[in-house]
Amino acid sequence: MTITKAIIKDLHKILGDKVVLTSRSDLSSYSYDATSNWQGMPEIVLFPTDVSRISRIMALANENNIPVTVRGAGTNLSGGSIPVFGGIVLCTTRMNRIIEIDEVNLTATVEAGVVLNDLNKELARHNLFFPPDPQSFLAATIGGCVSENSGGPYGLKYGVFKNYLLGIKVVLADGTVIPLGGRTIKNVTGYDLPLLICGSEGTLAVVTQATVRLIPMPEARQTVMAVFNDVITAGAAVSMIISRGIRPAKTELIDNWIIRRIEESAPLGLPVEAEAILLFELDGPAETVRMETEKVVHLCRETGASDVREARDNKEADNFWTARRLGFSAIYGNAPTAMAEDVTVPMDKMPELMKRVKAIGRKNDIMIVTMGHAGDGNLHPCILTDKKNPEHYARAQKTAQEIFDAALELNGVISGEHGIGLEKRKYLKKAMPSEAIELLKGIKKVFDPKGILNPGKIWE
Amino acid sequence: MISRQMKIDTDRCMKCGFCMSVCPVYDIDHIENHVARGRNMLVRMVREGDLPLEEDYRRCLSACLLCKRCEAVCPANLSPAEITLDARNDVIEKMGMSWFQNFLYKGILSRRSLTARFVGLAGLIPGLSVKGGRPLRHLADMASFIPGALSLPRFSSRPLRKRVSGITRPPDGVEEKGKVAVFPGCMYEYFLPDIGEDIITSLAKAGFTTVLPDGLNCCGLSIHNAGDYRTAGLLAARNIEALSSYDHVITGCATCGSSLKDYHKWFKEDDPIFSRAFEFSKKVSDFSEFLVKNGAMPGAFDSVPMAVTYHDPCHLRVHQGVYEAPRDLLRAIDGIKYIEMENADSCCGLGGSFGMANREISLAIQAKKMESIKKSGAQAVATSCPGCMLYLADGVRRNRLPVKVMHISRLMRGDGKIRK
Repeated sequence: MTITKAIIKDLHKILGDKVVLTSRSDLSSYSYDATSNWQGMPEIVLFPTDVSRISRIMALANENNIPVTVRGAGTNLSGGSIPVFGGIVLCTTRMNRIIEIDEVNLTATVEAGVVLNDLNKELARHNLFFPPDPQSFLAATIGGCVSENSGGPYGLKYGVFKNYLLGIKVVLADGTVIPLGGRTIKNVTGYDLPLLICGSEGTLAVVTQATVRLIPMPEARQTVMAVFNDVITAGAAVSMIISRGIRPAKTELIDNWIIRRIEESAPLGLPVEAEAILLFELDGPAETVRMETEKVVHLCRETGASDVREARDNKEADNFWTARRLGFSAIYGNAPTAMAEDVTVPMDKMPELMKRVKAIGRKNDIMIVTMGHAGDGNLHPCILTDKKNPEHYARAQKTAQEIFDAALELNGVISGEHGIGLEKRKYLKKAMPSEAIELLKGIKKVFDPKGILNPGKIWE
Repeated sequence: MISRQMKIDTDRCMKCGFCMSVCPVYDIDHIENHVARGRNMLVRMVREGDLPLEEDYRRCLSACLLCKRCEAVCPANLSPAEITLDARNDVIEKMGMSWFQNFLYKGILSRRSLTARFVGLAGLIPGLSVKGGRPLRHLADMASFIPGALSLPRFSSRPLRKRVSGITRPPDGVEEKGKVAVFPGCMYEYFLPDIGEDIITSLAKAGFTTVLPDGLNCCGLSIHNAGDYRTAGLLAARNIEALSSYDHVITGCATCGSSLKDYHKWFKEDDPIFSRAFEFSKKVSDFSEFLVKNGAMPGAFDSVPMAVTYHDPCHLRVHQGVYEAPRDLLRAIDGIKYIEMENADSCCGLGGSFGMANREISLAIQAKKMESIKKSGAQAVATSCPGCMLYLADGVRRNRLPVKVMHISRLMRGDGKIRK
């Protein structure tokens, strides 16, 4: 225990009784994130509602060397928000005000706890759109997304969080409150500190507020589903489409195992023999969407798709995308532990990576289910295992490592959007020169000399 | 398709957090174990022996309205409400019930004659009863003016059964269309019998010979929801038996309706009563659902001119999927200007015992509802659930809104008198 009774008393004084959790059930509820193989108990969970309280909490924690793990909705997939060293979980979910939507300059300023989907719901009233779309968008908070530099299916066309971040307000480890960045699209004032914090997984500072860039809502959207008899052909279709200058908003790939599970649980009439399905969303001006849809349908057929369907209406489009979401639930339903990996390669190497992943699974006798953002080369091979079976779990980890090796060999990276967190820290040395890791550590030291912010993450 | 076993398999929860976007409780306090994802994990930890069964766990299980909104968005097709209920059942089996639960479920609610006597006696207390002494008449409502307190339903000294005869026929000149049984439920039987009367009168006016059958019991939902599956199953079996000779069972109580329609889910599929309960469920209709389905609406009723809005009970809209019928009815009543309020389908905050166990959250959810009602500008808010009615009325008093709360059938009396 690093937190003494006296400190708890001080924390109560800062926050008031209502937003301090210490019971066993409550603490257990903050011991996990959306991964299924990591857990760590906090000693206390706090729900500050303003920056000044966060500042006082940080000052107190820093003075007493108490670890602080900042957490939004806890939907991250890297172990990043798990308090492995106990201490404080600082939960930002009650700081959820949308401070400003600037329709002239196309920016929004929000508190860290605002849920991504709530922001987009509000923006829709102004015909505006904030594209980065981690698939946990219904729960994920902006603060969490900034800290994880989140992205999703929209990555290829619209980019990820860092492409929209203009400025943030942070609380440093010692309690200092500072604004970083600004509100303009162009800004080269010194080092880009907001970008440094973005993706730092809560190890450098507590993000309390963010100003992001917005775009106008696309006029039209169209979903297309294409069925392929093998993954290589599906990959070729994606390459062909992109090389012809079409940028689908989303290009998602689902493998045969998932198609079968979907048809078992909530049938959508998908062909169960199909090796792979590609789901496209085209968006933009109505006329462009119509033309691009035609081209995508044509190119898929030309490359050898066995079936291509345009969603007739929003409802059918929703059904297609539900299939994609069902994929993950099928995975979690079929194994006690699912390691959702996140390797990313240059787009044209995607089919090769998928081939290698399959071979690795066969070699290790491990079930690997694959989904991915085919357009941006971000693959999610999910390794089905059981952490309570040491032999199997060890084989699963070996499998993961071989997948990472494969991605690195293909000029890729070990994580495209989930982050390193706990899950991949032991592979960091492989993925980055040791000199670069030393730079990371040096930067950490400048921001957080005592190492209290989210300790134990990113590197070992 | 998806079996019940799959629907309650907490291992299938992938912690995506979609439930967080629709949960009325999480919306208020943002606490992880007050939303499906967090409860799924707690239940899993307890089952795997990583957490003990203890009071604290019981408290977390109580913080669910069982509104089932999360079920609709769950990509894993889980039923977090069923998971919570099974966990509550586990707790009761292993830790026992509180003396109050024992007294209420096994002592009172499962014995109809005792319920009647108990309520009858309580109904004699001035201030707590509908016909109580004048100066204290609103004692039961007083709690609305105390922050954090929960106002009591007012007991009626004359239950429904003493107000109407067993069979009510359509009035003269109205062609008989059929025969229905009414399931009044405890609330319309003992607390709000005048609404029970309104329901029966409206059905008769619409051409249905309406029977108030003997041998009915509490629908058992509050008992089932507390996790006492045994007592609840007993009541379900008795009600199915008492209603076996009728083709149509109508209830004006959203809560009773949701349980009658779901009775089969209370039994294991290999239990002989399962298929009987399943057949039974098909005979059950909500009051508004039945009238609209039978075309018994336009012009048949009339009321005083006023602007009315409608509140969707969770037990009707989410559990039974009925939301157009009550609106159709309201629009068809002469003199009523129907206004759809914002977030008409948001919870009133009561959720049965949830509202007692979680006062602060419950009141915060209520406050949001009151904002919507106020914004609508309606003079009255109609609904289909006695629980919602009591809690909306409590909210209206608490917030001093010039709005009347009434059951949808009250607007069909056609006598121009609007009583609260």
